Amino acid sequence: MEAGAVTATGGGRSILERPPLSRLPDRLLRWGLTALAAGVLALIAYFFLRLYNDAHPAFARFGVLDFVFRNNWDVSQEVFHALPLVVGTLITSVIALAIGVPVAVATALYVTELCPPRFRGPLTLMVELLAAVPSVVYGLWGFFFLVPKLRPAEQWFSDNLGFLPFVGGPVAGPSYFIAGLILAIMILPIVSAISREVMATVPAEHREAALALGATRWEMIRMAVLPYSRAGIAGAAMLGLGRAIGETIAVTIVIGNAPTIGHQIFDQGYTLAAVIANEFGEAASVPIHRAALIAAALVLFVLTLVVNLAARYFVRRGERIG
Amino acid sequence: MTMLVPLSARRRRTDRIARATLAAATGLALVPLALILYYLLKKGLGAWSVSFFTEDPSGRFFGSAGGIRSAILGTVEMVALATAVAVPVGIGIALYLVEYGGGSRFAQVVRYFVDVMTGVPSIVFGLFVYITLVLAGTGGGSFAGWKGSIALALLMLPIVTRSAEVVLNLVPNSLREAALALGAPRWRVMARVVLPTALPGLMTGTLLAVARAAGETAPLLFTATVVQGMTLNLNAPMNSLPAQIFKDVGQAQDRLVQRAWGAALTLVLMILVLTTIARLVQRRSRLA
Amino acid sequence: MRRTRTITALAAAGALALGAAACGSSDKGGGGSSTTGPKGGTISGAGATFPQPVYEEWASRFKDQFGTTVNYNPIGSGGGIAQFTAGTVDFGATDSAMKPEELAAATKGKPVHVPTVFGAITVSYNVSGLDKGLKLDGKTIADLFLGKIKKWDDPAIKALNPGTKLPGSNVTIVHRSDESGTTKLFTSFLEESNPEWKSKVGSDKTVKWPTGTGAKGNDGVAGAVKQTDGAVGYVEEAYALQNNFATADVKNKAGQFVAPTLQSTSAAGEGLQIPPDLRFSAINASANPKAYPIASATFLLVYQDMCKAGVSKDKAQRVVNWLNYAEGDGQKVAPELQYAPLPAQLHQLAQAKVDGLVCNGAPLKGA
Repeated sequence: MEAGAVTATGGGRSILERPPLSRLPDRLLRWGLTALAAGVLALIAYFFLRLYNDAHPAFARFGVLDFVFRNNWDVSQEVFHALPLVVGTLITSVIALAIGVPVAVATALYVTELCPPRFRGPLTLMVELLAAVPSVVYGLWGFFFLVPKLRPAEQWFSDNLGFLPFVGGPVAGPSYFIAGLILAIMILPIVSAISREVMATVPAEHREAALALGATRWEMIRMAVLPYSRAGIAGAAMLGLGRAIGETIAVTIVIGNAPTIGHQIFDQGYTLAAVIANEFGEAASVPIHRAALIAAALVLFVLTLVVNLAARYFVRRGERIG
Repeated sequence: MTMLVPLSARRRRTDRIARATLAAATGLALVPLALILYYLLKKGLGAWSVSFFTEDPSGRFFGSAGGIRSAILGTVEMVALATAVAVPVGIGIALYLVEYGGGSRFAQVVRYFVDVMTGVPSIVFGLFVYITLVLAGTGGGSFAGWKGSIALALLMLPIVTRSAEVVLNLVPNSLREAALALGAPRWRVMARVVLPTALPGLMTGTLLAVARAAGETAPLLFTATVVQGMTLNLNAPMNSLPAQIFKDVGQAQDRLVQRAWGAALTLVLMILVLTTIARLVQRRSRLA
Repeated sequence: MRRTRTITALAAAGALALGAAACGSSDKGGGGSSTTGPKGGTISGAGATFPQPVYEEWASRFKDQFGTTVNYNPIGSGGGIAQFTAGTVDFGATDSAMKPEELAAATKGKPVHVPTVFGAITVSYNVSGLDKGLKLDGKTIADLFLGKIKKWDDPAIKALNPGTKLPGSNVTIVHRSDESGTTKLFTSFLEESNPEWKSKVGSDKTVKWPTGTGAKGNDGVAGAVKQTDGAVGYVEEAYALQNNFATADVKNKAGQFVAPTLQSTSAAGEGLQIPPDLRFSAINASANPKAYPIASATFLLVYQDMCKAGVSKDKAQRVVNWLNYAEGDGQKVAPELQYAPLPAQLHQLAQAKVDGLVCNGAPLKGA
């Protein structure tokens, strides 16, 4: 990439050397762009420090570990332990991944490998349409369609499959499950799109080689496509997870806003993001409440950092294997 | 890869089952889309009328609920400002990463933190802007449209940067080298070769970011907040479609819920138009 | 449905009458000062959803009269006090008076409580097979919200409603998720009537709910109740009427079961002890046998000296106009939305608070 060093060395103007004046814009551009990149780092640093600084009173009062791992979010007593929110965030995200990623990857495989070429465009478009639907519209739809329509099915599931862990008992309308389901739909297009892109980069020779060896389409997928794109798929899933963890509005509408840990997936709950959306207008004058919400934001931020690290790890490992 | 045995019945069956499963999963993925579009059209079209687009929300408890004019205008204003901030900066950073940074330590750190930013939930950006700009009363007021734009721009920046970096990386090095070999300075190579080649992709990334920002509620709730009146003053509290919908969702009044559906249909159509334009641009420049 | 139509008709009739009144008063205004500064423009407020229907109706008529847009953001009383204290809005709104520690936190000036109207908090339910007028007392309502009563045909409910056929469906509790003056008033009623509630939950703008789904705002609770069969929640009466909810008759201090109506709400405002700063609560306070027990006034919050709190003089004047409207024409509009106007004595005290507002020490009078 040291293409800028093409200039000839030594005295005298070589044919290859550019006139000095034309190098000035190059320098300016280089420094400008570097400054921009540095600026973004500075911004993120300020962002993090500001959040940490403003969250500090909450950590100081409750302790970092107690803040995250104790179960008591009680605004009226000004006691803030965020475990119910952390648990809610994790449960909804896990449900979202469990439902969303397999469907997304299957869709990507079907579109890139199986479906007739003339359907490829329309199918891709339709899956991408899901990404065009804003969070708040998912919430609207979830609240007025999913919650009432799925309630009987959920109650049946709860009554008949009570032997499963985290199932059984009366079904609340808004719940972890509904929130997870909506998140699954919301992460589907992004996971599917990235998986598809990755699959499209599988060299044609790999596919052709597998087919030439007499593999069926599915075997070709298993032998050539999946191993090659595993890293990308893991990355896509991680991106989906990041989105699910931080998704706010749709979840706020259908989670039930109860800062307790539900006993089963059809119970109401709360997530970190939803609690911030609901409470940060009220916290402006109560310093400890505000600090607690910023601390919740910080926990969210750290969760996404961890997810990012994990994504990088998976991608690296995938690269080594692939 | 080892030589495979001739096609057995079992392998054929596995293949068929696997294919059917993948097709079924694809069908399943489209079910929510169909349902959402059906409900949007069914409930949303019912709310539409001329006055729906020419009146501001009235806020009246009885009588007409009014329309969504201020919400549409607010969304357009705030997203336009956010785009004007985020796109040049985002593409600039991507250019740095691809053209200068390469694999350097600094570039890796930048890349990593842009990644981190992608993962930051939009509500956290909203909170950040709230505590830094709104509570501090920057610009002489508390809630303001431009503060909403800043929150949206923070959200868009990493999306633009990431997608731009991917696209710029796809520009073949041979093109750059050819131009440099012809004696073109670096900036001209970028302006005349790299950016035009990458333009469709940059456009797509930008429009995706715009579409994402247009639909975001969380960063706006406590930066631009929800108001009824229309305003061109970006330093005043400003309405927006998503925030208006969020306010109307969960309202027990049918006419407000209906307004939410009408606004939702409007918002989704706006986003679809953006996406369609993106595709057309992409197609055209591919031909050129 | 019938009921909704009745209020709509009432509203229409009221609007006509008020239109005439508005004409009269604007004529008077035209004859007086011609200062244009305080007219037009916008003021912004945030807070309680309990009076939101009446405030929004006022705002829309106030705009017709003065040209001033009132942007009222219904984010709950907790949010109202918070935004007021932080100075991000020109006025706040709350149903429960500010607590001493909240007053202490308000460093921008001296908060003034201006009571506006009385409203009733209904116990609204959506249970198929159960009509309005279910009789409940404070203890039973508290047991419902404690999660101890799980079915609608529970013996405790049966005992209060002999002869009523009760369905056996599950009880789903809906409560507020935001910090709410409505919650504060409602829970203080429960606390008074049920010792277990007092010891386990207590009363505040938000409490640690033992069970149930949280929803934002009175409208959110109404929406959730409407969505769910078997649900019960607490909402201001205008919301219950608008959604045609079945509401419970609640046992008051005198031992009578009283339905939430305009009359029973008005009755709840009579014979109250009012402290000089007007920070009173009417919950279960009236001994009147016709009084609905969970009724209360709601307040607008402003700083005694708004200009010192950073508001421009014109804006302060607009806020004063708005308060004068609330205590003036607004009182006549309130009953159309089933809010009771202030009793005469309290009304005088409230008007005196508005008249006492100043800008940098100079009095601000209505335009």
